[in-house]
Amino acid sequence: MTPLLAQAGLTQGVTVALVLSAALFTIGLIGFLVRRNMILMFLCTELMLQAASIAFIAFGRMREDTGGQTFVIFILTVAAAEAALALGLVVLLYRRRETLSAEAWQELHE
Amino acid sequence: MSPTPTFMNAPLMPWYIAAAIGAAGLLMVLRPGRAAMRRAGAVIGLAGFGLLLAESLKLAGPADQSISTPFMMAFAAVGVIGAVRVVTHPRPVFAAIYFILTVLAAAATFLVLDAEFLAFALIIVYAGAILITYLFVLMLAHQSPEDEIGHIGAEDYDRVPREPFVAVLLGFFLLASLGSAIERGPELARENAAAATARLAERKAEAAKSMPRLTVALPEGSNPSDAVSNVQMVGLDLVAKYPASLELAGVVLLMAMFGAVVLARRQIELGEDERRKAAGMGGMVLDVPEHERGGA
Repeated sequence: MTPLLAQAGLTQGVTVALVLSAALFTIGLIGFLVRRNMILMFLCTELMLQAASIAFIAFGRMREDTGGQTFVIFILTVAAAEAALALGLVVLLYRRRETLSAEAWQELHE
Repeated sequence: MSPTPTFMNAPLMPWYIAAAIGAAGLLMVLRPGRAAMRRAGAVIGLAGFGLLLAESLKLAGPADQSISTPFMMAFAAVGVIGAVRVVTHPRPVFAAIYFILTVLAAAATFLVLDAEFLAFALIIVYAGAILITYLFVLMLAHQSPEDEIGHIGAEDYDRVPREPFVAVLLGFFLLASLGSAIERGPELARENAAAATARLAERKAEAAKSMPRLTVALPEGSNPSDAVSNVQMVGLDLVAKYPASLELAGVVLLMAMFGAVVLARRQIELGEDERRKAAGMGGMVLDVPEHERGGA
Protein backbone atom coordinates (compact mmCIF):
# COMPACT_ATOMS: atom_id res chain seq x y z
CA MET A 1 0.00 0.00 0.00
CA THR A 2 1.38 3.39 -0.94
CA PRO A 3 1.85 5.82 1.96
CA LEU A 4 -0.93 8.35 2.56
CA LEU A 5 0.85 11.46 1.37
CA ALA A 6 2.42 9.73 -1.60
CA GLN A 7 -1.11 8.97 -2.86
CA ALA A 8 -1.74 12.71 -2.97
CA GLY A 9 1.41 13.22 -5.01
CA LEU A 10 3.49 14.78 -2.25
CA THR A 11 7.22 14.29 -2.50
CA GLN A 12 9.54 14.52 0.47
CA GLY A 13 10.72 18.08 -0.05
CA VAL A 14 7.17 19.39 -0.40
CA THR A 15 6.12 17.44 2.68
CA VAL A 16 8.84 19.02 4.80
CA ALA A 17 7.76 22.46 3.58
CA LEU A 18 4.14 21.71 4.50
CA VAL A 19 5.07 20.45 7.96
CA LEU A 20 7.14 23.60 8.48
CA SER A 21 4.18 25.65 7.35
CA ALA A 22 1.83 23.88 9.75
CA ALA A 23 4.27 24.27 12.64
CA LEU A 24 4.89 27.96 11.97
CA PHE A 25 1.17 28.68 11.72
CA THR A 26 0.48 26.88 14.98
CA ILE A 27 3.32 28.66 16.78
CA GLY A 28 2.06 31.97 15.40
CA LEU A 29 -1.44 31.27 16.68
CA ILE A 30 -0.13 30.28 20.10
CA GLY A 31 2.03 33.38 20.14
CA PHE A 32 -0.91 35.62 19.32
CA LEU A 33 -2.82 34.20 22.28
CA VAL A 34 0.10 34.10 24.68
CA ARG A 35 1.83 37.42 24.03
CA ARG A 36 0.61 40.45 25.94
CA ASN A 37 2.67 43.03 24.08
CA MET A 38 0.54 44.51 21.28
CA ILE A 39 3.40 44.84 18.81
CA LEU A 40 4.44 41.23 19.35
CA MET A 41 0.85 40.07 18.88
CA PHE A 42 0.96 41.63 15.42
CA LEU A 43 4.37 40.08 14.83
CA CYS A 44 2.78 36.69 15.51
CA THR A 45 0.15 37.32 12.83
CA GLU A 46 3.04 38.03 10.47
CA LEU A 47 4.37 34.61 11.46
CA MET A 48 1.07 33.07 10.39
CA LEU A 49 1.19 34.91 7.06
CA GLN A 50 4.69 33.57 6.59
CA ALA A 51 3.44 30.03 7.16
CA ALA A 52 0.72 30.55 4.56
CA SER A 53 3.31 31.78 2.05
CA ILE A 54 5.40 28.65 2.55
CA ALA A 55 2.36 26.47 1.94
CA PHE A 56 1.52 28.43 -1.22
CA ILE A 57 5.04 28.05 -2.59
CA ALA A 58 5.15 24.35 -1.73
CA PHE A 59 1.84 23.55 -3.41
CA GLY A 60 2.76 25.69 -6.39
CA ARG A 61 6.00 23.74 -6.74
CA MET A 62 4.12 20.47 -6.47
CA ARG A 63 1.67 21.35 -9.25
CA GLU A 64 4.23 23.20 -11.35
CA ASP A 65 2.06 26.29 -11.27
CA THR A 66 3.41 29.78 -10.66
CA GLY A 67 0.05 30.84 -9.24
CA GLY A 68 1.33 29.97 -5.78
CA GLN A 69 4.24 32.36 -6.11
CA THR A 70 2.02 35.07 -7.53
CA PHE A 71 -0.25 34.80 -4.55
CA VAL A 72 2.67 35.20 -2.16
CA ILE A 73 3.28 38.61 -3.73
CA PHE A 74 -0.24 39.56 -2.66
CA ILE A 75 0.45 38.19 0.81
CA LEU A 76 3.50 40.46 0.98
CA THR A 77 1.32 43.39 -0.04
CA VAL A 78 -1.24 42.68 2.65
CA ALA A 79 1.49 42.13 5.24
CA ALA A 80 3.05 45.48 4.42
CA ALA A 81 -0.31 47.28 4.60
CA GLU A 82 -1.14 45.52 7.85
CA ALA A 83 2.21 46.43 9.38
CA ALA A 84 1.83 50.10 8.49
CA LEU A 85 -1.71 50.38 9.87
CA ALA A 86 -1.21 48.18 12.91
CA LEU A 87 1.94 49.94 13.98
CA GLY A 88 0.28 53.34 13.51
CA LEU A 89 -2.57 52.22 15.74
CA VAL A 90 -0.24 50.73 18.32
CA VAL A 91 1.76 53.95 18.55
CA LEU A 92 -1.51 55.85 18.99
CA LEU A 93 -2.61 53.48 21.77
CA TYR A 94 0.80 53.62 23.40
CA ARG A 95 0.70 57.41 23.65
CA ARG A 96 -2.66 57.24 25.41
CA ARG A 97 -1.71 54.70 28.08
CA GLU A 98 2.09 54.73 28.12
CA THR A 99 2.19 50.95 27.98
CA LEU A 100 2.27 48.35 25.24
CA SER A 101 0.33 45.82 27.28
CA ALA A 102 -2.88 44.72 25.58
CA GLU A 103 -4.49 44.40 28.99
CA ALA A 104 -4.45 48.17 29.39
CA TRP A 105 -7.39 48.19 26.99
CA GLN A 106 -9.43 45.46 28.63
CA GLU A 107 -12.31 47.79 29.45
CA LEU A 108 -12.82 48.57 25.77
CA HIS A 109 -16.26 46.92 25.78
CA GLU A 110 -17.76 49.79 27.71
CA MET B 1 -15.67 4.15 -1.50
CA SER B 2 -14.42 6.52 1.11
CA PRO B 3 -13.02 5.35 4.42
CA THR B 4 -14.69 7.19 7.28
CA PRO B 5 -12.21 9.65 8.70
CA THR B 6 -11.65 8.85 12.33
CA PHE B 7 -9.58 10.72 14.83
CA MET B 8 -7.87 7.56 15.99
CA ASN B 9 -6.78 6.49 12.54
CA ALA B 10 -3.80 4.16 12.87
CA PRO B 11 -1.37 5.76 10.37
CA LEU B 12 -1.91 9.17 11.91
CA MET B 13 -1.52 8.17 15.55
CA PRO B 14 2.26 8.93 15.50
CA TRP B 15 1.49 12.38 14.04
CA TYR B 16 -0.80 13.18 16.96
CA ILE B 17 1.74 11.89 19.46
CA ALA B 18 4.52 13.96 17.88
CA ALA B 19 2.29 17.04 17.93
CA ALA B 20 1.52 16.43 21.60
CA ILE B 21 5.23 16.12 22.43
CA GLY B 22 5.96 19.34 20.59
CA ALA B 23 3.10 21.08 22.38
CA ALA B 24 4.34 19.88 25.78
CA GLY B 25 7.82 21.18 24.99
CA LEU B 26 6.47 24.55 23.90
CA LEU B 27 4.41 24.78 27.08
CA MET B 28 7.52 24.16 29.16
CA VAL B 29 9.39 26.86 27.26
CA LEU B 30 6.52 29.32 27.66
CA ARG B 31 6.33 29.05 31.44
CA PRO B 32 8.54 31.70 32.98
CA GLY B 33 10.70 30.15 35.61
CA ARG B 34 13.81 28.12 35.98
CA ALA B 35 16.15 28.16 33.01
CA ALA B 36 16.81 24.42 33.24
CA MET B 37 13.10 23.71 32.83
CA ARG B 38 12.91 25.92 29.77
CA ARG B 39 15.99 24.33 28.24
CA ALA B 40 14.51 20.86 28.77
CA GLY B 41 11.31 22.13 27.17
CA ALA B 42 13.25 23.37 24.16
CA VAL B 43 14.85 19.96 23.70
CA ILE B 44 11.50 18.18 24.06
CA GLY B 45 9.78 20.57 21.68
CA LEU B 46 12.48 20.22 19.06
CA ALA B 47 12.31 16.44 19.44
CA GLY B 48 8.55 16.65 18.90
CA PHE B 49 9.04 18.68 15.73
CA GLY B 50 11.68 16.23 14.51
CA LEU B 51 9.30 13.36 15.15
CA LEU B 52 6.58 15.22 13.27
CA LEU B 53 8.91 15.62 10.29
CA ALA B 54 10.02 11.99 10.44
CA GLU B 55 6.45 10.70 10.62
CA SER B 56 5.36 12.87 7.70
CA LEU B 57 8.34 11.77 5.64
CA LYS B 58 7.33 8.17 6.26
CA LEU B 59 3.96 8.96 4.72
CA ALA B 60 5.44 10.95 1.83
CA GLY B 61 6.37 9.78 -1.61
CA PRO B 62 9.90 9.38 -3.00
CA ALA B 63 12.57 12.02 -2.65
CA ASP B 64 12.26 14.71 -5.27
CA GLN B 65 15.17 15.11 -7.65
CA SER B 66 15.46 18.87 -7.47
CA ILE B 67 14.38 19.45 -3.86
CA SER B 68 17.05 18.57 -1.35
CA THR B 69 15.31 17.06 1.67
CA PRO B 70 18.21 17.48 4.14
CA PHE B 71 18.48 21.16 3.30
CA MET B 72 14.75 21.58 3.72
CA MET B 73 14.86 19.87 7.10
CA ALA B 74 17.73 22.05 8.28
CA PHE B 75 15.93 25.24 7.23
CA ALA B 76 12.70 24.00 8.79
CA ALA B 77 14.50 23.45 12.10
CA VAL B 78 16.01 26.94 11.99
CA GLY B 79 12.63 28.46 11.13
CA VAL B 80 10.85 26.72 13.96
CA ILE B 81 13.54 27.63 16.49
CA GLY B 82 13.26 31.26 15.42
CA ALA B 83 9.48 31.16 15.64
CA VAL B 84 9.55 29.67 19.14
CA ARG B 85 11.94 32.39 20.25
CA VAL B 86 9.59 35.02 18.78
CA VAL B 87 6.83 33.63 20.95
CA THR B 88 8.86 33.11 24.10
CA HIS B 89 11.62 35.73 24.23
CA PRO B 90 11.08 38.11 27.16
CA ARG B 91 12.53 41.10 25.30
CA PRO B 92 10.48 42.35 22.35
CA VAL B 93 13.40 43.65 20.29
CA PHE B 94 15.05 40.25 20.40
CA ALA B 95 11.76 38.61 19.47
CA ALA B 96 11.65 40.80 16.35
CA ILE B 97 15.24 39.88 15.50
CA TYR B 98 14.40 36.19 15.86
CA PHE B 99 11.52 36.80 13.48
CA ILE B 100 14.10 37.94 10.93
CA LEU B 101 15.81 34.58 11.44
CA THR B 102 12.53 32.84 10.65
CA VAL B 103 12.10 34.98 7.54
CA LEU B 104 15.59 34.06 6.37
CA ALA B 105 14.84 30.36 6.91
CA ALA B 106 11.60 30.72 4.95
CA ALA B 107 13.46 32.49 2.14
CA ALA B 108 15.94 29.61 2.09
CA THR B 109 13.12 27.08 1.72
CA PHE B 110 11.75 29.23 -1.13
CA LEU B 111 15.14 28.96 -2.84
CA VAL B 112 15.13 25.19 -2.48
CA LEU B 113 11.57 25.11 -3.84
CA ASP B 114 12.66 26.99 -7.00
CA ALA B 115 11.01 30.29 -6.11
CA GLU B 116 14.08 32.50 -6.44
CA PHE B 117 12.28 35.78 -7.01
CA LEU B 118 10.05 35.35 -3.98
CA ALA B 119 12.99 34.32 -1.82
CA PHE B 120 14.74 37.61 -2.40
CA ALA B 121 11.53 39.63 -2.36
CA LEU B 122 10.81 38.10 1.04
CA ILE B 123 14.20 39.11 2.40
CA ILE B 124 13.99 42.63 0.99
CA VAL B 125 10.36 43.35 1.83
CA TYR B 126 9.97 41.40 5.07
CA ALA B 127 13.36 41.47 6.71
CA GLY B 128 14.36 44.74 5.12
CA ALA B 129 11.23 46.85 5.35
CA ILE B 130 8.48 45.42 7.52
CA LEU B 131 10.67 44.09 10.32
CA ILE B 132 12.72 47.28 10.45
CA THR B 133 9.48 49.21 10.89
CA TYR B 134 8.56 46.90 13.75
CA LEU B 135 11.97 47.38 15.33
CA PHE B 136 11.69 51.16 14.98
CA VAL B 137 8.30 51.21 16.66
CA LEU B 138 9.46 48.86 19.41
CA MET B 139 12.46 51.04 20.14
CA LEU B 140 10.50 54.29 19.87
CA ALA B 141 7.56 53.24 21.94
CA HIS B 142 9.33 51.59 24.70
CA GLN B 143 12.50 51.39 26.73
CA SER B 144 13.28 48.29 28.70
CA PRO B 145 13.31 48.99 32.42
CA GLU B 146 16.63 48.93 34.18
CA ASP B 147 17.13 47.73 37.74
CA GLU B 148 19.29 49.61 40.23
CA ILE B 149 22.56 48.01 39.12
CA GLY B 150 21.90 48.79 35.48
CA HIS B 151 20.85 45.34 34.25
CA ILE B 152 18.29 45.64 31.51
CA GLY B 153 15.23 43.65 32.45
CA ALA B 154 11.90 42.94 30.82
CA GLU B 155 8.42 44.29 31.41
CA ASP B 156 6.10 41.98 33.28
CA TYR B 157 3.74 41.79 30.34
CA ASP B 158 6.59 40.55 28.14
CA ARG B 159 7.84 38.02 30.65
CA VAL B 160 4.62 36.41 31.82
CA PRO B 161 2.53 34.75 29.11
CA ARG B 162 -1.25 34.94 29.08
CA GLU B 163 -2.99 31.58 29.49
CA PRO B 164 -0.17 29.44 28.05
CA PHE B 165 -1.89 26.13 28.73
CA VAL B 166 -5.11 26.99 26.90
CA ALA B 167 -3.18 28.49 23.98
CA VAL B 168 -0.93 25.46 23.60
CA LEU B 169 -3.93 23.14 23.83
CA LEU B 170 -5.61 25.10 21.04
CA GLY B 171 -2.42 24.91 18.99
CA PHE B 172 -2.27 21.16 19.50
CA PHE B 173 -5.84 20.78 18.26
CA LEU B 174 -5.03 22.90 15.21
CA LEU B 175 -2.03 20.73 14.38
CA ALA B 176 -4.05 17.56 14.94
CA SER B 177 -6.82 18.73 12.63
CA LEU B 178 -4.21 19.57 10.00
CA GLY B 179 -3.18 15.94 10.39
CA SER B 180 -6.69 14.76 9.65
CA ALA B 181 -6.66 16.98 6.55
CA ILE B 182 -3.67 14.92 5.42
CA GLU B 183 -5.76 11.85 5.94
CA ARG B 184 -8.53 13.10 3.65
CA GLY B 185 -6.08 14.46 1.08
CA PRO B 186 -5.49 11.31 -0.99
CA GLU B 187 -9.20 10.65 -1.16
CA LEU B 188 -9.83 14.10 -2.62
CA ALA B 189 -6.80 13.71 -4.85
CA ARG B 190 -8.12 10.46 -6.27
CA GLU B 191 -11.51 12.00 -6.93
CA ASN B 192 -10.22 14.79 -9.12
CA ALA B 193 -7.00 13.22 -10.28
CA ALA B 194 -8.25 13.04 -13.85
CA ALA B 195 -9.40 16.64 -13.85
CA ALA B 196 -6.10 17.76 -12.35
CA THR B 197 -4.06 15.89 -14.94
CA ALA B 198 -6.09 17.45 -17.74
CA ARG B 199 -5.64 20.89 -16.23
CA LEU B 200 -1.91 20.36 -15.84
CA ALA B 201 -1.54 19.37 -19.51
CA GLU B 202 -3.62 22.38 -20.53
CA ARG B 203 -1.48 24.68 -18.45
CA LYS B 204 1.73 23.28 -19.89
CA ALA B 205 0.43 23.84 -23.40
CA GLU B 206 -0.50 27.39 -22.41
CA ALA B 207 2.98 28.00 -21.03
CA ALA B 208 4.54 26.61 -24.19
CA LYS B 209 2.36 28.95 -26.24
CA SER B 210 3.39 32.00 -24.26
CA MET B 211 7.08 31.12 -24.49
CA PRO B 212 7.78 32.44 -28.00
CA ARG B 213 6.40 35.79 -26.95
CA LEU B 214 8.92 35.93 -24.16
CA THR B 215 11.94 34.77 -26.11
CA VAL B 216 11.57 37.76 -28.41
CA ALA B 217 13.06 39.94 -25.72
CA LEU B 218 16.01 37.65 -25.08
CA PRO B 219 19.51 38.60 -26.23
CA GLU B 220 21.12 36.88 -29.19
CA GLY B 221 22.66 33.49 -28.64
CA SER B 222 20.98 32.73 -25.31
CA ASN B 223 19.99 29.18 -24.63
CA PRO B 224 16.30 28.59 -25.35
CA SER B 225 16.04 26.05 -22.54
CA ASP B 226 16.48 28.78 -19.94
CA ALA B 227 14.27 31.13 -21.90
CA VAL B 228 11.62 31.40 -19.20
CA SER B 229 13.14 32.18 -15.84
CA ASN B 230 11.31 32.12 -12.57
CA VAL B 231 11.03 35.91 -12.53
CA GLN B 232 9.54 35.96 -16.01
CA MET B 233 7.07 33.23 -15.14
CA VAL B 234 5.88 35.05 -12.03
CA GLY B 235 5.73 38.36 -13.84
CA LEU B 236 3.75 36.91 -16.71
CA ASP B 237 1.39 35.21 -14.30
CA LEU B 238 0.91 38.41 -12.34
CA VAL B 239 0.18 40.64 -15.30
CA ALA B 240 -1.54 38.25 -17.67
CA LYS B 241 -3.59 36.14 -15.30
CA TYR B 242 -4.35 38.36 -12.31
CA PRO B 243 -4.40 41.96 -13.59
CA ALA B 244 -7.42 42.91 -11.49
CA SER B 245 -5.81 41.56 -8.33
CA LEU B 246 -2.70 43.54 -9.14
CA GLU B 247 -4.73 46.75 -9.34
CA LEU B 248 -6.50 45.84 -6.10
CA ALA B 249 -3.16 45.30 -4.40
CA GLY B 250 -2.20 48.81 -5.46
CA VAL B 251 -5.43 50.17 -3.97
CA VAL B 252 -4.81 48.27 -0.73
CA LEU B 253 -1.35 49.79 -0.44
CA LEU B 254 -2.65 53.27 -1.20
CA MET B 255 -5.38 52.96 1.41
CA ALA B 256 -2.91 51.67 3.97
CA MET B 257 -0.73 54.67 3.27
CA PHE B 258 -3.67 57.05 3.71
CA GLY B 259 -4.60 55.27 6.91
CA ALA B 260 -1.11 55.48 8.33
CA VAL B 261 -0.86 59.18 7.45
CA VAL B 262 -4.22 59.99 9.00
CA LEU B 263 -3.44 58.06 12.17
CA ALA B 264 -0.05 59.68 12.62
CA ARG B 265 -1.30 63.20 11.83
CA ARG B 266 -4.19 63.23 14.27
CA GLN B 267 -1.91 62.10 17.05
CA ILE B 268 0.59 64.92 16.63
CA GLU B 269 -2.14 67.57 16.69
CA LEU B 270 -3.63 66.10 19.84
CA GLY B 271 -0.33 66.02 21.65
CA GLU B 272 0.39 69.65 20.82
CA ASP B 273 -3.04 70.80 21.87
CA GLU B 274 -2.87 69.03 25.19
CA ARG B 275 0.55 70.40 25.94
CA ARG B 276 -0.63 73.95 25.23
CA LYS B 277 -3.66 73.46 27.46
CA ALA B 278 -1.47 72.16 30.24
CA ALA B 279 0.68 75.27 29.92
CA GLY B 280 -2.42 77.48 30.25
CA MET B 281 -2.13 78.84 26.73
CA GLY B 282 -5.61 77.80 25.57
CA GLY B 283 -6.37 75.78 22.47
CA MET B 284 -4.06 75.96 19.55
CA VAL B 285 -5.26 77.85 16.52
CA LEU B 286 -4.37 76.05 13.35
CA ASP B 287 -3.01 77.72 10.26
CA VAL B 288 -1.61 80.73 12.10
CA PRO B 289 1.93 81.50 10.95
CA GLU B 290 4.61 81.14 13.57
CA HIS B 291 5.45 84.87 13.94
CA GLU B 292 1.82 85.92 14.51
CA ARG B 293 1.18 83.27 17.14
CA GLY B 294 3.47 84.62 19.84
CA GLY B 295 1.16 86.52 22.22
CA ALA B 296 -1.84 84.13 22.26
